[in-house]
Amino acid sequence: MRLRTLRSALVLTTTLLAPMLALPALAETGKTISGGFDVGPGGFPGNFNPLAATAGLTWLSVYYEPLVIYNADLTAIVGDLAESFEISADQKTYSFKLTSESWHDGEAFTSTDVKFTLEAAKNGDTGSVFAARLGAIESIATPDDRTVVLTLSAPNAGLLDTLTKIMMLPEHALGKVPPADLAKSTWWSTTPVGTGAFKFEKYVTDQYVEVVADEDYRGGRPAVDKLINRYFENSAAAVAALRAGEIQFTYVEADDVATFNGNDQFKVIEGPSFVVNYVGFNQEVPFWKDLKVRQAVMYAIDRKAIIESLYNGAATEANCGYVAEQFVPAGIEPYAYDPEKAKALLAEAGWAEINGDKPITILTYYNNPLSTNVLAAIQAMLAQVGINIVPRAVDSPTYNATVLAAEPNFADFPLIYAGLQDGPEPSNINVGLNETMIPPAGTNALRIRMPEVSAAFDAALGETDATKRDARYQAVCQAMNANLPWATMWVANRYGVSSTSLEHFVWTPAPGGGPFDADPEKWDLGNAQ
Amino acid sequence: MLTFTLRRLALGLLMLIALSVLVFVLLRLAPGDPIDAYIDPNVSVSQAEMAAIRARLGLDQPLPVQYLAWLGAAATGDLGYSIQRSGVRVLALVFERIGPTLLLMATGLVLSIVFGIATGIIGAVRRNSTTDVGLSVAAFVGISSPAFLTALLGLYVFSVQFRVAPSGGMLTPGVPFSLGDLLAHLILPAVLLSIGQAALIMRYMRASMLEVLNQDYVRTARAKGVREFFVIVKHALRNALLPVITLIGSTIGMAIGGAIFIESVFNWPGMGLLMVNAVETRDYPVIMGATLVIGACVILVNLVTDITYAAVDPRIQVA
Repeated sequence: MRLRTLRSALVLTTTLLAPMLALPALAETGKTISGGFDVGPGGFPGNFNPLAATAGLTWLSVYYEPLVIYNADLTAIVGDLAESFEISADQKTYSFKLTSESWHDGEAFTSTDVKFTLEAAKNGDTGSVFAARLGAIESIATPDDRTVVLTLSAPNAGLLDTLTKIMMLPEHALGKVPPADLAKSTWWSTTPVGTGAFKFEKYVTDQYVEVVADEDYRGGRPAVDKLINRYFENSAAAVAALRAGEIQFTYVEADDVATFNGNDQFKVIEGPSFVVNYVGFNQEVPFWKDLKVRQAVMYAIDRKAIIESLYNGAATEANCGYVAEQFVPAGIEPYAYDPEKAKALLAEAGWAEINGDKPITILTYYNNPLSTNVLAAIQAMLAQVGINIVPRAVDSPTYNATVLAAEPNFADFPLIYAGLQDGPEPSNINVGLNETMIPPAGTNALRIRMPEVSAAFDAALGETDATKRDARYQAVCQAMNANLPWATMWVANRYGVSSTSLEHFVWTPAPGGGPFDADPEKWDLGNAQ
Repeated sequence: MLTFTLRRLALGLLMLIALSVLVFVLLRLAPGDPIDAYIDPNVSVSQAEMAAIRARLGLDQPLPVQYLAWLGAAATGDLGYSIQRSGVRVLALVFERIGPTLLLMATGLVLSIVFGIATGIIGAVRRNSTTDVGLSVAAFVGISSPAFLTALLGLYVFSVQFRVAPSGGMLTPGVPFSLGDLLAHLILPAVLLSIGQAALIMRYMRASMLEVLNQDYVRTARAKGVREFFVIVKHALRNALLPVITLIGSTIGMAIGGAIFIESVFNWPGMGLLMVNAVETRDYPVIMGATLVIGACVILVNLVTDITYAAVDPRIQVA
């Protein structure tokens, strides 16, 4: 009797559970690309507000769009929601002709939306991270629905670059929200509407974001039905999901690349990081004020050997803040590895008396194994010439709090190993090197006060003739190479890995995730998932 | 009874306030704030931009002002918004995460009890056999393996190499909910979470069972001709379980610790992952809110226990 009851219970339970236990794949419809689009330094998982986006723009540009955008290899800025644009000769008037597009909710995209977005981005009360960078905009005129004219109080060479990061927002949806309430609005993560190739569908908190094809997209209906952006605790977890076949793309750390090489199931995508790595000298620490000591550091580090052995050749040696050919003049000092010269320079500077072998902390926020090895190599090389550095790796918040403190303790970071975005817009590094950028104005936390370097930056930033711009930045490079505010190391490559089933997929390791012209409407899956 | 309950309630409230002060102070002593975590050091952002964000979030206010503002809002049930997630309320976030953590922990606990007790019995019944030695070695390996190691190994073997289990998450993204999908995602992290506890329970169960099997009443049962299966299940098991039940209660704390690692490795959307993320990003409101809710739960459970004791034993009120 008992056995019969048990059997009946089992049959009943199985019958009830069977429909629920149906394999998930059976329920899936349409083509879906899943990826870790917010993994790595270019990602910003959990941020849905483009006005607050210091990164994560690769994903945001799937459903929002800016007026102008970088092309896929980040060499030029082209129109996106602006089908064309003109800049006046004095660099003070920017005119944009808008393309014909509608928001995902069917409303027309007009110049009113552009004006609303730029005003919100200019207003710090909205939580915008672009407010200071748009300060030069004096007025925003909208002569008709398809035209926007920006008038600047002074030329601003970085304005177009900033505009690539500002995603257009719908005035009809957000215009009535008070600026101070905009940042905490739930609209961003529940019902946002953009103009991009995909429409926002849903966000499952801290798990994934789902967008679906916009049937009316001006570039044509996307080739796949859905894109899913999965969130991962770290890139290793994303790599595991990629290997398990659950996603088709993710950013990967350089250490992981070798495990994908030669595997025909995956394609490694490589590109420059546009981040120049450097050993920074804190100018509030007296012994770094001597140029000879800074030169000795440059000569003592065998950058070629580090690039070959640790980066497997996937980095470009930097002799100033830039490695892009157009910004590097001929004839600058190459600082080839020469430990004897380094020792001689240190002896001339009286290193034994001013510091000798006393340990010097080198603070960094780079915590990955590759950076640990790089710092160990630098430590060993500097030890050979008599400079005793001690690496201290901390997390980014601790690093920022240490070096950007209102009243920093300079003894905590006599040296730093860090990186700063040096492109595609070359003026980016000004914030860390120009004397006028010493905190609180900027992030020149090393208190670099080198008149020649600052003057070169000022001249480059104020240049209104586009044809002379490259020469101005060459002068910046020259000044950096001669004065060594930093011991510049290299610009390393970064990597993404995609499944070979992914077709027409465009990705580049742009700083902050770009954005760049990735044409997500063309992304496709060659084989069914 | 009413006075006793009210006194305990007031005490619980004071403890909650003390907990919030402690967490608030500890958070502010840690280097870096949410804005420091917000900014990628590689990207050029001016101090003015950072200062503007700090001001908008009220982080430029004196600490007592910040704390009182938080406490005032918390008293009305408003734990604020997550700093790192635009427009997401902390209270909703925390309640959303409790369920997955309970599910993972409960499944892990059930698996560890079932496997631990079953293997413990087998080990005791087949004492010193190859099976017993094998199980004992496996138990020692299980006890000695930290949760993060077993989690990573399990992920590599079952998800990456054999592809028999999803590598993370609780549900397949973009697919309608199904119990099968949930179970497919749950089974690997739950099994890995249960390993350490199962190994411990197995060792205790084996020792306890061996002791009981040597008792006179078991020998008597066998002498009376009772079948071995019933001797073990009916006579020995019940008595051998008592110390194991005590052990299971005390290993729940271990399960909470293990769950934090497992949730991080498997991206399981529970309280552990929430707290780890919040600490990494210095998301003050989330850390404060989550701690407060967990603290309130613990205090509430203790309060209910105290009141129950008091109801059962009137002497406790006097004490």
